[in-house]
Amino acid sequence: MLKGKKFRIAGSLLVLALVGAACSSRDDNNASTDNGGGSGDSGGASESSIDTANCTADPTAEIEGNEIKLVSSFPQSGATAAFSQIAKGWKSYIQMINDEGGVEIDGKTYTITTTDKDDQYNPQNTVANIEELVGEDGSNAFAAFSVVGTANNLAIRQQLGDLCVPNLFAATGSPAWGDPTYPWTLGSTLSPYSLEGKAFADLLGDEKPDAKIAVLVQDDDFGKAYEEGLKKAIEGTDLEIVKTEKYATGATEVSAQITSLAASGADAFFDGATLLACPDALTKAAAAGWTPITWVSATCTSKTLMGVAGANANNAYSYTNLKDPLNPDWDDDPAMMEYREKVGQYQPDADVNNGIVAYGWTQGALLVEALKAAEKPTRLAVMESIHNFSASDVGLLLPGVTVKTGPDDPYLGEAFNVMKYEFTAPDARNHFVLVGDINDVEGQTADFTPESLISSG
Amino acid sequence: MTTDQTGAAVEPMLGVAPLELEDAPATGDQTLWPQIPRPVFIARVIIGTVMAAAALYAPFYFDPVYNRLLSQAIYLAIAAMGLNLLTGFNGQVSIGHGFFYGVGAFTSAILMVDHGWTFEATIPIALLLNLVIGLLVGLPALRVRGLYLALVTLGLAVLFPQLASKYVDGVGGVALLRPPARDFSSLIEGLDNDQWAYFLSLFIMVVLFLLAWNLVRGRIGRSMIAVRDQEIAATTVGVNLAGTKVATFAISAAYAGVAGSLSVMVDHVAAATNPIFYFQRSVEFLVAMTIGGAATIMGPAVGALALVLLRRNTEDLIEGKEILAPALYGAALIAIVFVLPEGLVGGVRRFLAWLGRRSSAKGRPPTHPIPDDSQ
Repeated sequence: MLKGKKFRIAGSLLVLALVGAACSSRDDNNASTDNGGGSGDSGGASESSIDTANCTADPTAEIEGNEIKLVSSFPQSGATAAFSQIAKGWKSYIQMINDEGGVEIDGKTYTITTTDKDDQYNPQNTVANIEELVGEDGSNAFAAFSVVGTANNLAIRQQLGDLCVPNLFAATGSPAWGDPTYPWTLGSTLSPYSLEGKAFADLLGDEKPDAKIAVLVQDDDFGKAYEEGLKKAIEGTDLEIVKTEKYATGATEVSAQITSLAASGADAFFDGATLLACPDALTKAAAAGWTPITWVSATCTSKTLMGVAGANANNAYSYTNLKDPLNPDWDDDPAMMEYREKVGQYQPDADVNNGIVAYGWTQGALLVEALKAAEKPTRLAVMESIHNFSASDVGLLLPGVTVKTGPDDPYLGEAFNVMKYEFTAPDARNHFVLVGDINDVEGQTADFTPESLISSG
Repeated sequence: MTTDQTGAAVEPMLGVAPLELEDAPATGDQTLWPQIPRPVFIARVIIGTVMAAAALYAPFYFDPVYNRLLSQAIYLAIAAMGLNLLTGFNGQVSIGHGFFYGVGAFTSAILMVDHGWTFEATIPIALLLNLVIGLLVGLPALRVRGLYLALVTLGLAVLFPQLASKYVDGVGGVALLRPPARDFSSLIEGLDNDQWAYFLSLFIMVVLFLLAWNLVRGRIGRSMIAVRDQEIAATTVGVNLAGTKVATFAISAAYAGVAGSLSVMVDHVAAATNPIFYFQRSVEFLVAMTIGGAATIMGPAVGALALVLLRRNTEDLIEGKEILAPALYGAALIAIVFVLPEGLVGGVRRFLAWLGRRSSAKGRPPTHPIPDDSQ
């Protein structure tokens, strides 16, 4: 066999080298923290709606250097990898802006850098990722951006809030992002989940006012938002929830739940599942011969997930406030053409026809708008800018959709258009077709949402 | 691969056994270092001093991210030491210590989040609670041994996330608890939070390691080893078989519980959202013990440090091929077990013994007759 002693020594050395590699010194690292973490001079405290008295890191410190460092954590591998496409959208937009020179805040130009880690949609990993990327004292990054998942963002909300590190455009529609206790975390253009319940209830009110509804939701606060939101939406109507089933977070298979829901005699189905559980629900419902009026979660409307369901998703309703790249109506739209060109250029392996990439692109665009609108290059100023924000025709927002926040209104995505999935053939450009007009409930999300959902966690 | 690791764990453990018995002075009150050749003694003193100095200086040298890594190695070492008492010294294999680790973590987190305790006060509670649970689990464990015990304990580790999901309603509606970071603030002026977490963990580790050292050198330790090597012979000379086994199990569980408790301070979270997390932890304890050197005192510490650093450094070793990291990590672990079957500490011992033999080659016969297959 191998020569004993030499082999041992060589092996030991190899392992020792691996163990000893990449050690870094505390001093070295301290020297390199001028990366937008904000240990610079105070920019002078301004009048603010955000209470900064208990911030453990100074939110009025101006960015040192000319880099705005953003960090993110989202699923990138395994069965949850569908959501990783979001980042390809915003990375393209940010790279485009950097190539054009960067973002100007208060007369100075900054480029945006991003770092991200895979969390496999597991909140435990999100915590570890963000702690590492932001740093215990918040000195390693300017802000977190587009972190995916309700439970995931709830898990990092308090820590970032205590540090006063912005958690921008969380990629989840939980109404909890409107909780005034946590002004440092803000949602994205994804409409608050409670509005989906309202939209579905309104839809059924027109089509089948006495419908019996079956509900499938994830067993966490994401699911709770759908469940409670829908309950509130059907108050005072003849609609009735006859059965609610839950599945474990991250599960990909829901046949047991669908068997139970199909047997309930319901003629309407609210598929509040996300990731692979969502198309699985549609497939299993079709297999059971159950054909209710179906609503799918807005988190499930991407090409990937609807493609998995295929014909089984035909006629399913959902809503959006973005232009769908799969919809030929937008093929000649200038914003859509720019999106296709730039994403193709910067992220060649991204699927530009996937609506979830378009969503990411739009978040990148909103981020840049919010940064431009900030009065100073500080965390506080950026947060205030996003809390007093109004934008339309940004990214791939539908014409007529305005993304607006205000002192008492922290929700961005309060305008939406109901849409219906049309499946024609397996290889065709199957897509959602917009139904009716834009429904704008600007400033009313809190009215349609049970209080417990906003102030939970 | 894990089964390979687990399977391999048993071999070096038994291989190293006689060595340890010779090393531990049978009559403690003689001279402090009997029979140790001078160069070996000097080498040991030098290694010990350097390691202690490095351990004390490290948190001032490294950045907070790296210090957290070191603190993780420390709590991992404590759990591995617990397992070492049970598996290395007492011969009972457990793949379920992640369970006790989890109980410790959630004990601290629940006391802090729901009852407003300060973190430091929760450590003894985690220890005592796990001591009791360890006793309760240890009793039925008397009926099974070897692989069967490993399987029973494996069930515990796999069960834990289910239990936690059922009974803990944490942040975001999942089994995840996060005490605010300020609750872990440094209690010593001049020490940063990361340095405080490091030193508190290190202090507890040193205390627990000294206790373990004291334990295995005395009557109880000899009983433990006797039970491991020859159960029947041990009973015939009056060792209380059941008592020794159950007590070892309880102490071992308490160590894992303290490790879990410290993990809440280091990681700022107690979570059971990953269904196999506590099983992975169990295997990590076993691997740390094995690559460090089973049935040695320093083994778990060295193994835990090597494990944490290896995992970290294989993470982004190949740019753009992060997906290969687990394979590299696994390959490195296999390399260690293959090259140093007695663990890193066993390897050092072998080297020192060789040194001792060389120096005494002129006159005295070797003190430790260790077979060297390379000759």
